[in-house]
Amino acid sequence: MITAHYFVQTFDPTENTLRKHEVIDFLKQQNLDFASGMHFTVAIYREEELIATGSLDRNVLKCFAVSPKYRHRGLTNELVTILTKEAAQTNQSHLFIYTKPKNRHLFESLGYHAVEEADDVILLENKTNGIANFANQLSRNYISGKSIAGMVMNCNPFTKGHQYLIQKAASENDVVHLFIVQENRSLFQTEERIEMVRRGIASLDNVHLHCSGDYIISNATFPSYFIKDKETVIKAHAQLDLKIFAKQIAPALKITKRYVGEEPFSRKTAIYNQFMHQILPGFGMEVKEIPRKAENGTAISASHVRELLMNNEMEAVRSLVPTTTFDYLCQWKKNRRER
Amino acid sequence: MNIVHSAVAGSLESSDVMISIEPAVQKTVSINLNSSVKKQFGDQIMKVIKNTLDRLGVNGASLEVTDKGALDCVIEARVETVVYRAADKKNFDWGEY
Repeated sequence: MITAHYFVQTFDPTENTLRKHEVIDFLKQQNLDFASGMHFTVAIYREEELIATGSLDRNVLKCFAVSPKYRHRGLTNELVTILTKEAAQTNQSHLFIYTKPKNRHLFESLGYHAVEEADDVILLENKTNGIANFANQLSRNYISGKSIAGMVMNCNPFTKGHQYLIQKAASENDVVHLFIVQENRSLFQTEERIEMVRRGIASLDNVHLHCSGDYIISNATFPSYFIKDKETVIKAHAQLDLKIFAKQIAPALKITKRYVGEEPFSRKTAIYNQFMHQILPGFGMEVKEIPRKAENGTAISASHVRELLMNNEMEAVRSLVPTTTFDYLCQWKKNRRER
Repeated sequence: MNIVHSAVAGSLESSDVMISIEPAVQKTVSINLNSSVKKQFGDQIMKVIKNTLDRLGVNGASLEVTDKGALDCVIEARVETVVYRAADKKNFDWGEY
């Protein structure tokens, strides 16, 4: 209950660094980190003392903390109310919270519903039938076939490696559903990545392109501020994301195989792939890990392409991406120069 | 009244209710109620919400209602506010009351 003793301050942490540092110190006391990418923070003070905080990152509520002395007084209710109204200002009405499983009941009492739970993390949303409605919508895209495969990619940007993987899946299956990860923290925005993929797979008519929506969780958006150990973060992300895929997304389209590229560069992705082998077969899904396509003896990587792009080494880029992507990138560079 | 975009009204404070509304594709009204007193008062809360929506002529909307023990008059007021916000109606007709 907010009384005259309390003082509520809201601010943009990217602008107000003074208040941001206060919040960072406060979170640290509770063994939490301040996540990046947040654009709206609430801080509740009693006299001069910071006693509660919460932040907003697009449609994800993050970095909640209430001072132990001031718990059970409805401060979380106040934080969620303010964050929900702020989100509504930008037409975000479908909100999510990632938190420790022990906080489940707290957020359920605030109208949140569990999407999925893993060992160290639970994802909740403020809609009663959010995930069920999403799966229902998705099932309208069902296409019958003897073998139906699914794959999830970022394609930042779309390379010959991605194209090879998709071609392989397309040649081995009747239907392939390709999900492009929705997150706008990559060099290329979701729409740009989808456009590059669309052009690059135009000749494969059994591949169906989807935007991943809110239920396929990208590396970039999975919040890790409440888990200290790096390995545990990868495990939590993998378990949560793969369980949602196996229990909700795959059944909607009757996907029984998941294709993934082998990961020689990123340890994080390599560990993620291992979890795929552990988790998906338990839900009756087969995992096909395909060796990466190499060019001049080295596996093609999108991060390498981004590096070359930034250094203006366009001839090197040309050898690693399909012509459709190369043309797109040339135009993209031109537009950036003109901006 | 025509729901044109999403909106929120109310709060999660004790004795209040927070309602979010969204346009629905079909011309139906769906209401999801979360309340710690749903067992005792769920039917009554739903009745107040439905009656208020009917009175305002809302027929295509999806609502999430998180009740914290609000009285009927509070529920009615919050429904009116959220509908007016979502319908982009700025002129409240006080004469109705």
